[in-house]
Amino acid sequence: MTKTITKEKVFHHAIDQVWKAITKAEEISAWFIQADFKAEKGYQYIFTSAPNEKGCTTISGTVKEADPYRLVYTWIVADTKVETTVSWTLEPIESGTKLYLEHSGIENYAGETAIEMFNSFNGGWDNCINLLTAYLKEEVNAG
Amino acid sequence: MQDNITKLFKAIADPTRREIFHALVIATSALSITQISDQFDMSRQGVTKHIKILNDAGLVSMTEEGRNRFCFADPKPLKAINKWMQFYSQFWDDSLENLDNYLNKNKDA
Repeated sequence: MTKTITKEKVFHHAIDQVWKAITKAEEISAWFIQADFKAEKGYQYIFTSAPNEKGCTTISGTVKEADPYRLVYTWIVADTKVETTVSWTLEPIESGTKLYLEHSGIENYAGETAIEMFNSFNGGWDNCINLLTAYLKEEVNAG
Repeated sequence: MQDNITKLFKAIADPTRREIFHALVIATSALSITQISDQFDMSRQGVTKHIKILNDAGLVSMTEEGRNRFCFADPKPLKAINKWMQFYSQFWDDSLENLDNYLNKNKDA
């Protein structure tokens, strides 16, 4: 029983631009989540959502692969000890870049607690994203 | 609470138990311990041991009729996984949308 989410998306941007956006800490922090990240195999990264009254969520893991244009890291939410894996694969296409995203190991969230973890994470996450979005509006344009 | 996850992990980690669970899921009626042991060519004790672990994890329920115990699958605990699937699916859609917006903004700047 394997549960994997796969997403495909086309970006009308050069492959190196997309690669930088998903591998450079300051860029990840800009569109995704506050990141202590290096695209180096073995790097122990930490994603921290902006602090708010709920304390927000951290995501941590280890970089498994980071050769252009494939990035793979493990993904562990807070102290759940449930390890999932996220992989990003970029492919140049005529109109820009195609991204294949895979998030596997979601079956590891088995159990009744999953629903509660899901609910608390969901609420926390939304708050963090909102804060980030507000922050981004000011910061990103400068880039 | 953590115990539930551990039990479910333990229950589905074993390939024989996954097969027994699968057999119960596709069976049209509850199966007795004897039927399962015949089907898997396994001792009644062996089957009982596996069923107990599946039962602890909430994946199998049992009824007793006379001297026979009948087992049936209860996939409810696994449904939680689908919630996670839905959650992450939405999460990645939103995140990739953010990435696209980010890239577009930078292009304009």
